[in-house]
Amino acid sequence: MRAGARPPLAFESGAGAADRRLVAGTLRRTLNSRPVRTLFVVLAALALAAPAAAGAPREVWFLQRAQPVPVTRTVPGMPALVRSLLAGPTRRERAEGLRSAIPGGTALRDLRIARQIVTVDLAARFVGGRDDASLRSRVGQLVRTLRAVPGVRGVRVRIEGGVPIGLFPGYDLRRVVREPAADPRAPGLRETQQLLADLGFMAPTGVTGQESDETATAVLAFEKWHGLPRDGVLDTDVTSLLLRAARPEPVRRRSGDRVEIHLGRQVALQVVGNRVARVFHISSGAGGVTPSGSFRVYRKERMSWSVPFSSWMPWASYFTGGIAMHEYWPVPTYPASHGCVRMMARDAPLMYAFAGHGTPVDVLWERA
Amino acid sequence: MKRRFAAAFGIAATLVLANVASGADAPSPTPRPAPVAAPSAPPLRSLVVALDLGSPTLQAGVVRGREVILARGYEVALAKLLAKRLGVRVERFVHVPTMNRLLAAGGASWHVAFGALERHRRAGGPGLTEPYLTTDVALILRRGLSRPRGLSDLRGAILCAVRGSTGAAAIPRLGSTARHLYVVGPERLRTVVRTGACDAALVPALEVGRFAGRHGAGLGPVAGRIRRGEGLGASIPPGTGLELAAVNRELARLRRDGTLGRLAHTWLGLDPAGLRVLR
Repeated sequence: MRAGARPPLAFESGAGAADRRLVAGTLRRTLNSRPVRTLFVVLAALALAAPAAAGAPREVWFLQRAQPVPVTRTVPGMPALVRSLLAGPTRRERAEGLRSAIPGGTALRDLRIARQIVTVDLAARFVGGRDDASLRSRVGQLVRTLRAVPGVRGVRVRIEGGVPIGLFPGYDLRRVVREPAADPRAPGLRETQQLLADLGFMAPTGVTGQESDETATAVLAFEKWHGLPRDGVLDTDVTSLLLRAARPEPVRRRSGDRVEIHLGRQVALQVVGNRVARVFHISSGAGGVTPSGSFRVYRKERMSWSVPFSSWMPWASYFTGGIAMHEYWPVPTYPASHGCVRMMARDAPLMYAFAGHGTPVDVLWERA
Repeated sequence: MKRRFAAAFGIAATLVLANVASGADAPSPTPRPAPVAAPSAPPLRSLVVALDLGSPTLQAGVVRGREVILARGYEVALAKLLAKRLGVRVERFVHVPTMNRLLAAGGASWHVAFGALERHRRAGGPGLTEPYLTTDVALILRRGLSRPRGLSDLRGAILCAVRGSTGAAAIPRLGSTARHLYVVGPERLRTVVRTGACDAALVPALEVGRFAGRHGAGLGPVAGRIRRGEGLGASIPPGTGLELAAVNRELARLRRDGTLGRLAHTWLGLDPAGLRVLR
């Protein structure tokens, strides 16, 4: 045995053990040789550098039809992520309608991270222009992009090393921004319900932030008034119109409380002093059997029995012959009754309370 | 030794008592130096303008240290314009909160500060120029309403304003019959006017142009303004070399030639001074 060689272990014995020692020694020598060691070092460096160079997939926020939308970019770090945002959408993304509110050529001056707060220092170009929506959107893009990085709790925005004050509507950049400012152009469910209530399509008590039948009925009345497809679904067409719509105006002008029933649109309006207080979803007589004209409420019955149809009609306010506004189920989106004006169970008591004896009822025929 | 000390103490005490007995207002034996006339301030070549940033339309910018860079707004533009007319250049803008301006009535480190109210001057602040902008309250209607001829026409209308604003403060003065609605911010105010939940909004006249312009499609006309009797002026501490009378003269000239109106249109969206006063 050579001096310094490892003594055979208990399970090593005979010629086989000698062969294995020979192979192991050869392998050790080969691995310790300079070219192989160099190769290992290069491979290890590549293995470490590869993920850093390729980076992780991150969200970069741009705008599509003025609404914030994320796209995925694989970037090696936070500065590269911000530079990617500042560079704007790619040509292909532009063709798909993506835009950035951040002025082109805005440079990143510095970026620091401390206590999970990212401080971004940008060049003066970032404050260019006087369009409030654009100024608000560009901070929103920056905050959304950085807040999407796991672990980031807030963003501090600096311009040319200073604190911007009063330059970005909706943001106080003296403080750390934790969330992007709410976009008035993209209302949530509660804001949408509030809009429906403001416009008179819903009672203020219906503004709950929760999905409800009341909201669907209000949306249906809104769709009927504006000639949209009558499905009661709160889709983008409804939302975008809600953001522009004004309160319905009565067709007739006269003083006092009255009711206008629009047969074409299938809605009933409560009018108080030439101002529409509420708009109700109704269903009138099929085949145009509800007569049009000016009438007055002449009979009221809390529970009315329909003799010809053997049916109860709660909250009935009769305004001509046997034609009344009353509660009934169902209230479809089209004229379906035998001549009466069907109303939802929630709305009929309100109309009953509003339309006292002698209240004018104008039944109008106009196309939706 | 003790006797000599007691004698000295006695003389000193007698002198003190005699002085007290003679009264505090007795003329001092040594005559007071005559007040020296303040040396006239050297002619002003460059101007340091104090801003209290925060309003996007009046004063906004980036604060670096105490200096304001990228300053913009009506008052920034007015400062540059006035400086040009007075033959000086604006050296820099500095950020000085309003309270500090009041305290700086004596040794201010700036020459002129914009955005001061009459009550600031009454509180002991520096001299104040004639107002260049009114702080009245403007009335903006919902669509479909006809313009009121006076405040009496607003009886029965639903008025609305942002809670805690000058508009909200004006509502009780318009008569007890007007119904009112206070909302939490300008966006909500815009919504209630657009949707008809409110008939007329009371908005600070300085903001009404922006308010109406930005959302003009959904709102009715600006009906007029309700006077508050106050305006924004520039405060000029004494001894800075900037003459209050000269600034007032230039302001009057700018008003006469329509420059102030154009400036208001550029930065505020409309000139509040051009709105009809509702009485």
